[in-house]
Amino acid sequence: MASVSLSGVHKRFGDTHVVRGVDLDIADGEFLVLVGSSGCGKSTLLRMLAGLEQPSSGSIAIGGRVVNDVAPRDRDIAMVFQSYALYPHMTVRENMGFGLKVRGAAAPEIDAAVADAARVLDIVHLLDRKPKEMSGGQRQRVAMGRALVRKPKVFLFDEPLSNLDASLRGQMRVELKRLHAKLGVTTVYVTHDQVEAMTLADRIALLDKGVVQQVGTPAELYDWPANRFTARFLGSPGMNFVEAELRDGRVFAPGVDVPVVAELLAEGTTDGPVWIGVRPHDLRLEVGGAAGAIEAEVDVLEPMGWETHAHLRVGDARWTARFDAADAASLTPRGRVRCSVAPRSARLFARDDERALYRAPGPT
Amino acid sequence: MRFGRPAAALLALFALAGTTGCGRVAEPDVVLWHAYRGAEAEALVEVVHAFEERHPEVVVEVVPVPYQAYANKLTSGVPRGNGPDVFLFAQERIGAWADAGILHALEPTQHRAVLEALPGGVVDACRYDGELWGLPVATKTTALFYRSDRLDELGAEPPETTDDLVALAARFTDASAGRFGLVYPVGDFYFHSGWFFGFGGTLSDADGTPRLDAPSNANSFAFVADLLNERRVVPRDCDYGVAKDLFARGDALFAVNGPWFLGELGDDVPFGVVPLPRISATNTPASPFVTVESVLVSSQAARSPEALAAATLLADFIAGPESSVIRAERGGQVVADRTAALSAREPAASAAFGAAAAAGTPMPNAPEMTAIWEPLNRALDQTLRGSRTAEAALVDADADLRRALAPPPPPTSPLPYEVAFGLVLVAAAGLAVRRSRRTALLARMRTSRLAYLYVAPAAIASGLLIFLPFIVGASLSLYAHEQGEFSFVGFANFLNILLARDFGLTHPQSFYFTLVVTVAWTAANVVLHVSIGLALALALRDSWVRLRGVYRVLLIVPWAVPNYITALIWKSMFNFSFGSINGVLRWLGATPVDWFSKWSTAFAANVATNTWLGFPFMMVVSLGALQSIPRDLEDAAEVDGASRWQRFRHITLPLLRPALVPAVVLGTVWTFNMFNIIYLVSGGGPDASTDILITEAYRWAFERGERYGYAAAYGVLIFGVLLIYTWATSGRRATELTDG
Ligand SMILES: Nc1ncnc2c1ncn2[C@@H]1O[C@H](COP(=O)(O)OP(=O)(O)OP(=O)(O)O)[C@@H](O)[C@H]1O
Ligand SMILES: [Mg+2]
Repeated sequence: MASVSLSGVHKRFGDTHVVRGVDLDIADGEFLVLVGSSGCGKSTLLRMLAGLEQPSSGSIAIGGRVVNDVAPRDRDIAMVFQSYALYPHMTVRENMGFGLKVRGAAAPEIDAAVADAARVLDIVHLLDRKPKEMSGGQRQRVAMGRALVRKPKVFLFDEPLSNLDASLRGQMRVELKRLHAKLGVTTVYVTHDQVEAMTLADRIALLDKGVVQQVGTPAELYDWPANRFTARFLGSPGMNFVEAELRDGRVFAPGVDVPVVAELLAEGTTDGPVWIGVRPHDLRLEVGGAAGAIEAEVDVLEPMGWETHAHLRVGDARWTARFDAADAASLTPRGRVRCSVAPRSARLFARDDERALYRAPGPT
Repeated sequence: MRFGRPAAALLALFALAGTTGCGRVAEPDVVLWHAYRGAEAEALVEVVHAFEERHPEVVVEVVPVPYQAYANKLTSGVPRGNGPDVFLFAQERIGAWADAGILHALEPTQHRAVLEALPGGVVDACRYDGELWGLPVATKTTALFYRSDRLDELGAEPPETTDDLVALAARFTDASAGRFGLVYPVGDFYFHSGWFFGFGGTLSDADGTPRLDAPSNANSFAFVADLLNERRVVPRDCDYGVAKDLFARGDALFAVNGPWFLGELGDDVPFGVVPLPRISATNTPASPFVTVESVLVSSQAARSPEALAAATLLADFIAGPESSVIRAERGGQVVADRTAALSAREPAASAAFGAAAAAGTPMPNAPEMTAIWEPLNRALDQTLRGSRTAEAALVDADADLRRALAPPPPPTSPLPYEVAFGLVLVAAAGLAVRRSRRTALLARMRTSRLAYLYVAPAAIASGLLIFLPFIVGASLSLYAHEQGEFSFVGFANFLNILLARDFGLTHPQSFYFTLVVTVAWTAANVVLHVSIGLALALALRDSWVRLRGVYRVLLIVPWAVPNYITALIWKSMFNFSFGSINGVLRWLGATPVDWFSKWSTAFAANVATNTWLGFPFMMVVSLGALQSIPRDLEDAAEVDGASRWQRFRHITLPLLRPALVPAVVLGTVWTFNMFNIIYLVSGGGPDASTDILITEAYRWAFERGERYGYAAAYGVLIFGVLLIYTWATSGRRATELTDG
């Protein structure tokens, strides 16, 4: 097992600058999820860790050793590909044993290691099949099995679950988590699925356009997004925003008037244009004409049974709110509603560079 | 539709009647075939116009026939009445065709006027078996071309004797500057014939049986070997193209060549022509082969007295004085008619060729003489290479000739074969019926009648184009052919071949020696094609997507060039004196290699040429297959720890296999029968040792006494070998595909 660290890593493909200066330290045994939208450079970053791509600049260290010039086979890593990349002409047993075989391990040793890994992943009965004779989920397990057999210091996963259906994905998520708990191997896991990121990660690194936007635990990222991008990326439905004005300790926008929580406000923040952001479940429906902080017009209602998603217009912006089903019963499309929001639940972002203006309260 | 069918039949009937009716009006009285091109062809058309003006009652149709197909078309067309009535050809086939009943003998008294204007020796060339079969039209023979500018520089006159020739050639020769005194295809007996007969050589006994090892025959061989190897006034590996280039460039003083060479030399080349010089050693004139282009009347013309009269009239006219003037003036022919020769386009050259023809030796027209060329050329080649003495080489050549002329196996009764074949047919039919009963074939066929209808055209076409010729060819292997007659000999051809009766097992012409060479040839090629193709594919795969267009063009260019042209280019690259390959070797300070003098180097030259032709196919197949292998697999293997070689060996290669195996099978079959390369690059040399089965078969059919049955048996054996090979590999392929 080993720690992994990247410093100042850049990657260019010709003119396209794909990874733009990534610094990341991954602790020994940690499960780090690299998340970001499609094309942001996640796979590229992972492939540089594996040694399949050379960084254009910067350095990569595994277990304290700089590995920029070390071939993949000598990095002691294992990788699971999105396509699984199982060798189609080999049986499961041969697929799993391939890494040991090419490294010159003896046959009994290979058999034992394959048997072990197969037991852990519950694929013993598949050992003599070829990849095309298996379902997607089974192939996925075999791909993990192949990574497991070599007992590497670092696991790299590139969207391993994205080819599975929703229920299988849920199941495999749980198993991955169990496996990591059991083996404790440092893991870098790439996904664009925020649910996987939230549920699996010890820490999440959120990537956008080749730049790490924020690194932290899932809760940190969710509760205290460092910028509007992070805020928007995590949560479903996403955080609602409207352009607002910070003035005299309050935040104003058409139909919005929320007091600022001064103790959260970053130092040096001045009055001026801001974004205000509110998560859908932080919006409270004020019934019976009580004064609310936010006034909106109902656009569409989506009853879910246990709750109702209300699509609202706040000024020019479109918001989503999650209301209790009973509360929402009185709402009608085109009608007006009043909502309140706890001042601490609202988030403020600078209008110019979109950085967060509220800081997480220090541990006290 | 019900009404349509009879109506259509009626219409077809009318149409048929109409065409035959119309056809009668325009049907020619005389069909005239020739293989001329360019000015000669135009002159002939003019001759025919003149004839038609003179004889408006006779309609002549002039049909140009490509030379390569000429003899075959003629022998198959005339007996069926769709050949020519009158045709032009060299007199050398007269004997064979007269024996085969293709020709109609002429009545000399009807052609007295024409014959009187012709030199007697030339007319004699058209006689066979005491009859006159054709009228001489033009002569073709070899003479000595000289560069008049170079001769002036030496202050010399054209040589009168071979001693003069050799002395002048030696003065001119400067091998290091690439200048040579004398150039011509030295290994080709046709060009050699002037020396041969001048040195007293003879091709037959006193009683006329062919014989190649007469003692005086060795002298001319030794003479040329001396010019080539001791005096070195002739470049090594001098073939027709080399000779022509050197002479045209002014890097050769003398060339031995024929009248066609006049048209091949540009107007800017100053040259003269004289007959070949007198042989100093014997004090007799050099006496080259003379082919007499003659006009012949086919037996087809004898279908009616009118047709025969018209054909005879036309033949007489074509050989006559008016025609001779046109052909000399317009066609640039060396006409046989002595007075007309004076009006030739190049009177001096024409006179020289006329004189050369007068001193020449008529090309023998006996049928067995077609078999002399291969043995004589081989003996000449061996002598010039110095691999044996002229005497020994000629003794072998004589033995070869005897083998080629050996009487065919005795005819046997076809009855046992017919009975056996009939039994096999009955058994097969019985089996087929049982099988079709069991599988209810008829019922199934009835339900899918439409499907059968759809495939019927293709099935019929391939039946006609592939199976029928195959069956005809295969049955031919049970016959022996001698002078137009086929006799049934059963499996005698196969026995002769498979028991190596004609030669020892290790003789280069034996089936087994040739089979081993063929297998080695195929294996070497396929291994090289696949490994080079695959290596290049792996090297280029990354840039393939970007540079696809460029690669495609680069790859298609070698394919777009016909492979015989590539073969000829490579042959000239392997030329000892002027080839670029030896050029590079010399530049590197290595000794140049005489590529076609040894089996190993000749074989290597063949393989190199065919590899050039063959690797692009394997490369394209591999590139295509590589594109379909996900890169992830190799990445995964790399992360798994596989080295570059292990990735190739364990991942890429197995995944390429399904695409490569059929390509290899196909490539094997192609290479196994790659006639052009062998025939054109090494020409089977040295001593027929690099011939492969298909070129051997060709030689038996067309170069060694027309042993069609024997050649067909070779063909059947080749088919058998390939059948076994594909059968074996397809069995393996099937298992591979199911678990691939
Ligand atoms: N070999 C390459 N050559 C050129 N451009 C590349 C190459 N590999 C990746 N890119 C580009 O780099 C960018 C990032 O690619 P990458 O595969 O890392 O994205 P990703 O974050 O993994 O996306 P996804 O979620 O869709 O897998 C993309 O714009 C891609 O087009
Ligand atoms: Mg990716």
